Amino acid sequence: MIAKKLIDQAMKKAQGAQASINQIESTDVSFENDRLKSIKSSQKTHISVKVILNDRIGSSHTTDINDLDGVVARALESAEFGSPAHFKFPSQAKGPDVKVYDRQILPLTKDTMINIGDEMISLVKKYNPEILVHAGVTKGIVQQQFANSAGQSYTTETTKFDVGLHGQLTRGRDILFSWDSLTRKNKDIDHRQIAAKTIHWFKLAEKNVSLKSGTMPVIFTPAGLSVLTLGLRMGLNGKSVLLKSSPLINKLGEKIVDERFSCTDNPLLDYASRSESYDEEGIPHQITPLIENGVVKNFLYDLDTAARAKTKTTGHGIGCGPTNFVVKTGNTSYEEMIKSTKEGLLVHSVLGLGQGNPISGEFSVNVFLGYKIENGQIAGRVKNVMLAGNTYDALKNIDCIGNQAEWVSGALLTPPIKINKLSVIAK
Amino acid sequence: MEKRVREAAEAARLVGKEKTQFAEVPPVTDQITVRMKKDFRQVPLSEKKSVMEKYNRVIMDHHEKIESSDVIYRDTFRKVRYANSQGTYIEDERPDLMVRLSATARDGTNVQKGFESVGGGDGFQLTEGLEEKAKTAAQRAIDLLSAPPVTGGKYTVVLDPKLTGVFIHEAFGHLSESDFVYENDRMKEIMVLGKRFGSDILNVIDDGSLAGLRGTHKYDDEGVKTKKNYLIKDGILVGRLHSRETAAKMGEEPSGNARAIAYQHEPIVRMTNTYIDQGKTSFKDMIKDIKLGLYAVNSIGGQTAMEMFTFSAGHGYMIRDGQVAELVRDVVLTGNVFETLMNIDAIGDQIEFSKAGGGCGKGGQMPLPVGLGGPHVRARNIVVGGRQK
Ligand SMILES: [Zn+2]
Repeated sequence: MIAKKLIDQAMKKAQGAQASINQIESTDVSFENDRLKSIKSSQKTHISVKVILNDRIGSSHTTDINDLDGVVARALESAEFGSPAHFKFPSQAKGPDVKVYDRQILPLTKDTMINIGDEMISLVKKYNPEILVHAGVTKGIVQQQFANSAGQSYTTETTKFDVGLHGQLTRGRDILFSWDSLTRKNKDIDHRQIAAKTIHWFKLAEKNVSLKSGTMPVIFTPAGLSVLTLGLRMGLNGKSVLLKSSPLINKLGEKIVDERFSCTDNPLLDYASRSESYDEEGIPHQITPLIENGVVKNFLYDLDTAARAKTKTTGHGIGCGPTNFVVKTGNTSYEEMIKSTKEGLLVHSVLGLGQGNPISGEFSVNVFLGYKIENGQIAGRVKNVMLAGNTYDALKNIDCIGNQAEWVSGALLTPPIKINKLSVIAK
Repeated sequence: MEKRVREAAEAARLVGKEKTQFAEVPPVTDQITVRMKKDFRQVPLSEKKSVMEKYNRVIMDHHEKIESSDVIYRDTFRKVRYANSQGTYIEDERPDLMVRLSATARDGTNVQKGFESVGGGDGFQLTEGLEEKAKTAAQRAIDLLSAPPVTGGKYTVVLDPKLTGVFIHEAFGHLSESDFVYENDRMKEIMVLGKRFGSDILNVIDDGSLAGLRGTHKYDDEGVKTKKNYLIKDGILVGRLHSRETAAKMGEEPSGNARAIAYQHEPIVRMTNTYIDQGKTSFKDMIKDIKLGLYAVNSIGGQTAMEMFTFSAGHGYMIRDGQVAELVRDVVLTGNVFETLMNIDAIGDQIEFSKAGGGCGKGGQMPLPVGLGGPHVRARNIVVGGRQK
């Protein structure tokens, strides 16, 4: 096993070492402007070595399988200037069972993948031939070897399947996009459903309507809810908490949002795009409740950050970011949410998310795919609209939560949520 | 290996049909060697580290409310060899360096950031004497703690040169990239050369041959010599950015804008150094008639979806009765590019090119070093996000 060899080589000098070898094979079929543009097959090897030498961390990467001595030497060398190590590599522990390999993916032929793209494009064209369509279908397999000097060692094999669709409709100088995509670890993606969703948002935008500035109820679709989850993801990051840039420091155990709101980090959902048995540091994955009935339950940690914060890693190496972010469903149907809105805004996608000061929970974004709700019905698309507010304030002000969750691109599973009041600026 | 070749052949057969064409360019042989004032390749890692540690201390010692800092140094030296079957052979050296000094201040749950950055291909001396910049970044974070968020609404906005550069790159530059246009008949109708895009005072240029900027190269990554390309001249659309493929397909001249971040990627149509050319109005004259407006300064970033754009200023000042007034935070501007270009009614008389680091992303190729520039620019009726009073 190459990983073991790398460890042995590193341990001649180092006090601790970790190595991983990823072999990635993927095939990518892409369509541009309604036609097949390219088919790419690629094979990559990624080798990375991390060492602890004189209490400092060193690391190095290579894509060259013949450069094993080199990658170890560079990792040892870089430790001289590395940041101090606060942790020890973890000992042997078996990760939980989670389904991450689908034997149906590897045999998928290029013709099948092309047919998926073709069919999605013709569905969109059937709705409106004026729409220019881009599409992509990707399959892949990753084989990983992992080992460290403390005895942890395993191999994993995961598959990946990805289907995406993007349409552009230009009417005069009015340019409209709609898109949908999904990444999973099994073949279970309904591409007709992706086309149907893409068309749905085009249909609702057939008419542009105007909106008056003011505060109003705002319904976030699952995709639109990224506006609110971004601040949470950043605020729940253990490193931000340690560095005190998160507004959630000292809030563990405290109720910060509406008690109907709960969210979890769950890397153990079968075939979800971010599911794995282990994190990048060889830590067995687990389900981590983040906010439960409005109360902050946990922050996300990797090994080094956890050691500095005097707590335990939650298996979020490296970087303390979430895997699959799951928001709990409520008991209102999406239809009922719309029907109960006299005048308001439906937000499906935005521009400019993450600019400004997102860690504070503040957002100020252009509503790209947004729709006016009037007397319980969707009246049409609104343009030149800015939506502003604060994630934590908004989540204190929930009207209702949808009773059905949906995957957004594959890493966020959430229902729609209606907020009582947010500030909307229209031109 | 045999399996790979078979796969490539199968892929070519399946994609097949349409012929790819390239605009003709005369073959060249050239070798470009750069001389940096202080070659960063000769500077030991320990020195780079200690210089950055010095700035880190300046930030951390600035004020008790400075909570953390982020000081980033990065240098890359690329040697690019380009050859094609038409006889072109170019060797090009491309050094790039950037320093980003960022400070986070905190007061209870109020967390604010200030940052400054420098970058370029000149050499390690760029990193010298940045103490003032480190202090400025730290002080900005402190000042923003007590600054109110901007009140949302429609304003007359004056952009500082940094924001002008980001605005023209994000809002208009990407629209000028011909790969968005050449297979899209509707976009062709919008981007017809000769159409009016702004008032007579507006000139927009992309120029990869300007000395010393981050988007500067003698040749692009298809061996085409870079040059000054007018995109808008006296308010009229006169040009666009091309690779050899898009130029051939549209029957226009290649512009020297095919760029790739590394050899693993194919060259696609990208900007080089994009700027609004200087006009005639002084900053004082520009603000003197504004009763209530916004002076937006420094840039955090921007995003564009063809006609719609949004970008965020590092901070802003209200303009009241012709004077720069109080500091405000969370300044995000948005609009429709066509309307906004038409609404530009004053252009400053001093142009500045940003020395900042950072880069542009497109088609999975990020970050590509680009140059940004312009003078102060005034635009009417810009939507500014934020909560209402
Ligand atoms: Zn860009």
